Amino acid sequence: MLTIPPPDVLVQGILSGILMGFVYALIAAGLSLIFGLMEIVNFAHGEFLMLAMYTTFWAYALFGLDPLVSVPLSAGVLFLVGWLTYRGIIRRILGGPMLAQIFATFGLAIFLRAGAQFLWTPDFRQVTRAWVQGPVRMLGVSVGLPQAVASVACLVAFGALYWFITRTETGVALEATAQDRQAAELMGINTERMFALGWGIGAACVGIAGAFLANFFYVFPHVGSLFALIAYVTVALGGFGSIPGSLVAGVIIGVIEVLGGLLIAPAFKYVAVFVLYLVVVLLRPQGLFGKF
Amino acid sequence: MRRRAWCRGLLASVVAVGAVLGLVSRPAAQTKEVVIGVLYPMTGPVAQVGIDSVNALKVALDIINTDMNINLPLGRGVGLPNLGGAKVRIVVVDHQGKPDIGLAEAERLITQEKVHALFGAYFSSVTNTASQVAERMGIPFLNAESSSPALTERGFKWFFRTSPHDGHFSVAMFDFMRDFEKKRGIKFKTVAILNEDTQFGADSAKVQDELAKKYGYEVVARIPFRTGTTSLDAEIGRLKTANADVVLPSLYTSDAILLTRTARNLDYNPKVIIAQNAGYTDPKFVAEMGKEAEGAITRAPFALDLAAKKPLIPVINDMFKKLSGGRDISDVPARAFTGFLTLADAINRARSTDPGAIQKALRETNIPADQLIMPWTAVKFDEKGQNAGVRAILQQLQGGSYHTVYPFELASKEPMYPLPAWSQRR
Amino acid sequence: MGTGEPVTAVKAQEGTRASVRRVWGMGLLAVMLLATLAFPWVDRLPYHRDLVIRVFLYAMLAQAWNILAGYCGQISLAYASSVLQMRWGWNPWVGLGAGIPVAVALSMAIGYPCFRLRGHYFAIATIAIGEIVQTLAINWDFIGGARGLTLPFQKDSLLAFQFHTSKYPYYYIVLALLILCLLVSWRIERTRLGYYFRAIREDPEAAQSVGIPITRYKLIAMAVSAAFVSAGGSFYAQYVLYLDPDSVLPLSLSILICLLAVVGGVGTLWGPLVGAALLIPLSEFTRIQFGGTGRAVDLLIYGALLTLVAVFQPAGLVGLLGRRGRP
Repeated sequence: MLTIPPPDVLVQGILSGILMGFVYALIAAGLSLIFGLMEIVNFAHGEFLMLAMYTTFWAYALFGLDPLVSVPLSAGVLFLVGWLTYRGIIRRILGGPMLAQIFATFGLAIFLRAGAQFLWTPDFRQVTRAWVQGPVRMLGVSVGLPQAVASVACLVAFGALYWFITRTETGVALEATAQDRQAAELMGINTERMFALGWGIGAACVGIAGAFLANFFYVFPHVGSLFALIAYVTVALGGFGSIPGSLVAGVIIGVIEVLGGLLIAPAFKYVAVFVLYLVVVLLRPQGLFGKF
Repeated sequence: MRRRAWCRGLLASVVAVGAVLGLVSRPAAQTKEVVIGVLYPMTGPVAQVGIDSVNALKVALDIINTDMNINLPLGRGVGLPNLGGAKVRIVVVDHQGKPDIGLAEAERLITQEKVHALFGAYFSSVTNTASQVAERMGIPFLNAESSSPALTERGFKWFFRTSPHDGHFSVAMFDFMRDFEKKRGIKFKTVAILNEDTQFGADSAKVQDELAKKYGYEVVARIPFRTGTTSLDAEIGRLKTANADVVLPSLYTSDAILLTRTARNLDYNPKVIIAQNAGYTDPKFVAEMGKEAEGAITRAPFALDLAAKKPLIPVINDMFKKLSGGRDISDVPARAFTGFLTLADAINRARSTDPGAIQKALRETNIPADQLIMPWTAVKFDEKGQNAGVRAILQQLQGGSYHTVYPFELASKEPMYPLPAWSQRR
Repeated sequence: MGTGEPVTAVKAQEGTRASVRRVWGMGLLAVMLLATLAFPWVDRLPYHRDLVIRVFLYAMLAQAWNILAGYCGQISLAYASSVLQMRWGWNPWVGLGAGIPVAVALSMAIGYPCFRLRGHYFAIATIAIGEIVQTLAINWDFIGGARGLTLPFQKDSLLAFQFHTSKYPYYYIVLALLILCLLVSWRIERTRLGYYFRAIREDPEAAQSVGIPITRYKLIAMAVSAAFVSAGGSFYAQYVLYLDPDSVLPLSLSILICLLAVVGGVGTLWGPLVGAALLIPLSEFTRIQFGGTGRAVDLLIYGALLTLVAVFQPAGLVGLLGRRGRP
């Protein structure tokens, strides 16, 4: 049943899979960061992505800002969304049962999706005249320039995130809160602020990813759910709470998706991803790099 | 512990039944009007289709209920003349694309809203369940846009479809390929079928697969994929590997956008693309991707550029644009419009709202071509309830908008062949 | 006051109060039962009957999920999928009977390896399995593939499991299924099995250390749960007469089912029923009132409500009712 494509198609597939994988990774990083901090899975993560893409789209449609220019705007807006979500909802359910936590963010997801349709109609929208568009040649094959730009940007954002967490004072405080809340409080860290900050940064990661994604992907109220499922699997495959894990897992998933489609059948490309996930967690229940 | 559990349980049940009994039933419809229950997806990924279709119905209602003096069924005079000028009213419900909600809603519309007929429901799956209820209760159900051929093969007596189904559409594609080969003295040998995997895509791919064999083309790749995918890189890779003469995609809007962009980025250059409508005729797709998708051919039951031959089209389109905030009327709403006028016309000829009389009038329907905005020869139902006068046309994107290219006698432009490679564009 | 006497008096008083309450409780329950039995004859609107049928069906599915998740603490977000599609073809009753063991076997085969996973890893594994099953179902022509299966329209009869003219039999069949499911949960709750289930939910390590064979009991919970979901799926198929993977297998259906249990109260006997009885009519009401506008107002309300319940009443709405009984 295996189909062997010509070598240039194979190279092109793997390359574009890697590029997409970096985008998956950055989306997942935000989710993983929040989880590592307080063991909550944000089921509205896909909808955060949707908000980021709409922010970028409207900046383009109303003010003519190119998606590359509105990256800081999108990151800022999403930082605020994350911060407010923590202050308004998450803070109140921290001690609650796990299911209540799931459904609080799940309700938020439904609300945001419906809100987007209410305000902006279910139309598919897209940035039609972006600065970067069309193909670029890499390794002798053609791939999407916006994808290439997005993947470089995601790598940079990843580096910045890693540097922030390991090298800055606030980042270290964040890490300390993640490891032991009580101890962090005794050391004089305002853990409440750290949690809110974690949500802000986690959402800002999606803000950046969303801005670059809007450069080549259409926007509509349900767009988040397409990427959210992959993000959850990415986080779980990499290990909940592990930021480098998200990076590795994102790239693996991007490549497996394309290879599954090319070699087996496109209908089963996600099956290949899910099967890989199951095999990994059955051998290593905490994911590739997880501590939990 | 146990006592409390009991009490809690009881309270819970009281709440349960109270909540159910508490649902107030709303007053039934008045007698001096004709009420039609309309089922569409108004939320979810294809909500825009539902919204557009309801706008098209509002245009139809305007034409029926006010004196417009245009050459359409019921285009002159107020209301339904044979029912003493009774006005037509619609009750729109959202079925969210779920067959069980469609079933429940059909029942509610018939028994509570006292509708005289049902209309809808876009998704073949919902049309399937909702029309079962109508069949059982003996209420006419008119479907204007579901394209699953199976719907009119169920032996139902109360089900009527004005639209062509996938069988008609796909035949037109293969007829075009055959006729075009003769016209240009070329030969297509292989086809690749790319389809999204809901009922629409699966049905279409199946019909195309069978037709390809019948017409003597080799299917070198049949590529179903999960709708709403995040990338089509693997699918394009497959198409490149197959390298077929003709590509036949059946996609919704989102996937059509993604396919066009991915083909450009990955430098995939098919010679001919013939799409199964849906995404390719979404006005949004045409407006924003029209240039990039240059040369794509799609089947369509409707075309704005037939205006020269059908002067009604611009009139209806202007009315539609007022309601839709500037969007042009497209294929699905145009079909909804036509289906709805067919139903209203039948009720008028029935001279009553008795279901049996409406059913009989629908059977006797015969709307001539000059009273249609569709390129059909007539609206006329066969014994299965399928409109026998349907005709599909093919349109091609040329210079950013669609032009009819087939049947050749209706064509406004020559087909562009082969499609230019990406490297040679702009 | 003295010591011994008042205590016994209080105890005795409490005892009487208890039995009085129990009598009241039994009475109320009987009234409730009669009310549900009589309902289709009192309110003859078919739409209401249909609504109550769906409330009962979803209440049963939610209760089935509750046995697994609520009592045993495993969140299997997606596993309705493994079962609802087991039932294509055959005589409906044979299918219903055969569907149950197949569903049980399948759920155990899936469950056994996955029970090693904890918390979110397990939840995401079940989502992954659900997606895999859905993809297979879509691409498997034998079970209708993406085009679904239209069940043949037959004359009303008990043998054919079709009653389209009156729907009364549908109502009583689903009511019987629900009551059976509640009875089973009630039995489980008050036997050693229920005790083990709760222990596993509260603290799996501790449960294991006192010698409870965790995996075996989790498997039992999954089997019981799968059996009821399978029966519910069979009922759905006979009721709607049309099945396709997009309407019975999606993640959203599984989530809806958990949602009912969570809003009502996880791990409680009445929670899923309360959840279904409130949310199903609510979503119908908002959909009918606002759905036609195309602006998703219904989902807006639904989402907001869900978040509010999770934030302010995390134990579920049953907790709200129970609070009155507390001293």
